[in-house]
Amino acid sequence: MKKLRSRLRIVDVVSQAVRGLTSRKLRTALTALGISIGIASLIAIQGITEANQADAKAEIDALGSDFLFITPGTGIGEEAELLPYAPAMLDTHIDDLEHVAAIYTVDARARRNELVPEVQTGGVTVSAVTAADLDLLEPVNGSVAFGRFHDTTSVEVPSVVLGSLAAERLGIRHLVGHPTINISGTNFAVIGVLNEFEILNTDLNRTAIIGLGVADTLFETPDNPSAIYAQVPPEQLDDVRDIIPAQANPAAPGEVAVSRPTEALEIREVIDETFARILQALALIVLAVGGIGIANIMVISVIERRGEIGLRRSLGATRKHIASQFIIESTVLSLLGGLLGVAIGVSIVFGYARYKDFEAIIPWFWLSVGLAAAFALGALAGLYPAWRASRLDPAEAVRPAA
Amino acid sequence: MSSAVLELRDVSKSYAGSPPIEVLKEIDLKISEGELVAIVGPSGSGKSTLLNMMGALDRPTSGEVLIDGTVVNGLRDPSLSGVRGRRLGFVFQQFHLLPGLSATENVATGLLYHGTRGRARKAAAREALERVGLGHRLDQKPGKLSGGERQRVAIARALLGDPAIVLADEPTGNLDSQTTAEIVELFLELNEQGSTIVMITHDQDLTRSMPRVVEILDGEILDGAAAEPDTDEDDAL
Repeated sequence: MKKLRSRLRIVDVVSQAVRGLTSRKLRTALTALGISIGIASLIAIQGITEANQADAKAEIDALGSDFLFITPGTGIGEEAELLPYAPAMLDTHIDDLEHVAAIYTVDARARRNELVPEVQTGGVTVSAVTAADLDLLEPVNGSVAFGRFHDTTSVEVPSVVLGSLAAERLGIRHLVGHPTINISGTNFAVIGVLNEFEILNTDLNRTAIIGLGVADTLFETPDNPSAIYAQVPPEQLDDVRDIIPAQANPAAPGEVAVSRPTEALEIREVIDETFARILQALALIVLAVGGIGIANIMVISVIERRGEIGLRRSLGATRKHIASQFIIESTVLSLLGGLLGVAIGVSIVFGYARYKDFEAIIPWFWLSVGLAAAFALGALAGLYPAWRASRLDPAEAVRPAA
Repeated sequence: MSSAVLELRDVSKSYAGSPPIEVLKEIDLKISEGELVAIVGPSGSGKSTLLNMMGALDRPTSGEVLIDGTVVNGLRDPSLSGVRGRRLGFVFQQFHLLPGLSATENVATGLLYHGTRGRARKAAAREALERVGLGHRLDQKPGKLSGGERQRVAIARALLGDPAIVLADEPTGNLDSQTTAEIVELFLELNEQGSTIVMITHDQDLTRSMPRVVEILDGEILDGAAAEPDTDEDDAL
């Protein structure tokens, strides 16, 4: 007697599962959505975070992480002032400091010309530098858009270098015809305009820089620098940072604020990272809930398709065939959700990159994690329903439920 | 008489309970190749359980079931499923068609668990549909078919794979009288072409045209079961 064996081709196992899903399109779509949202979130969060971090890194690199910004601090009165000779003290006593440059706030108003009312400064401030501060652009990574920066001669005459925003506000777009601006009644020749600084907390963009000597003769000018910029090798940074206040303001070192503008960016990076991890944990929870949703629907499906299961058993399906049908169906369902999620997630990453003008970074690791999770969840979610389906008594399943 | 394709020897079936319910009592039944048999009995007579035994859908409590010469009651699930798939064809009252599949695709599932390739399955399905007179409805989904047409699709599916015997469980239970007559006519035709068919029904009317009628009542086959049905009772109705 020949052996009577049921056989189900692998290709049929898969196509049956796909059939089972496509004949219930809406349900399939809604069930897969949970997985889609979970995986889309995983990918989008990671992609956006990586893009932001890459941008922050680029910004830090552009700024140089070795740049210190020294200000009097927030105290009131003489106590909080930086010493008039603080820049020289720092330069002489701290060997590791390079390019120490100070800037002084001048109480004057800049206008395009004397016809513009004096109050209408457009937010442009006036600052002064000395001949010792001519390397100001070095520590702050600044550059000249057109014209030139001050030199030892220009600081002695009424000439001015404008920050990018100051130039815009004052309507200086080029140096053709030797433009001048009026600072509290005196015309100053514009000799240069700076490129925009990307440093977070600088006022340099909207200031007009003149020579301190000229400022002293014409306006009210304090002897104390309002800010000192300096560069220091990164490895010496912490040590140097500690000894600066004593040099800059021996009377009240506690008042001196020494900051590193890139610090904020670095902190932002860490916060982004932490935040991304929290959100991803949430996305994983969504994914797990999606998996439970699939298990749920599959259990319902087994109950609804009792007749179909009975029929298949009568057509020769073994318990294993029935079980495999439901496991594969659940896995395919979950993978469909996963693929849709990948598509949504990647689109979000690209959309965000486009919106922010960043380079899109596809988080391949999380993309694979998501798909692997979808696969595993689908198989797992199918186990119990598959077991139930395979245990159905064929004699009962072929007849209407009593 | 030609060889028996299906034989029940002393088959009893009881279900757990206190006291246990004995649904079938020592049934002896032999179906030979080429026969068309109607098994008739009222609701609760045990005819569905009898079909479960004949169809290897359930195991007897005692006795032996032989399908195509093989004792099947000791077989484990894979072999038992194999016997169902390869030697038996089933037709159910509820048709059990898959709603998403066309008539051809539905019929083709008859060979799904034979490991036959898709193309060969469909070719066989089209042929079977022609045989049951549905050659013009090959691509319709069950939702577009009438009750009679659906049952024809199910019959075509049962014929696929050339089973030793086709078991029909109340095949006309969901059909009107006109359609019922047509389905019975189809069974007669198929039987003439050589198919061995067992039809279970509670409808005495149907048995009139059947060459052999087995009456079952309270789990037992009535004496003279192989005789022509008693038509007096029907006339009185």
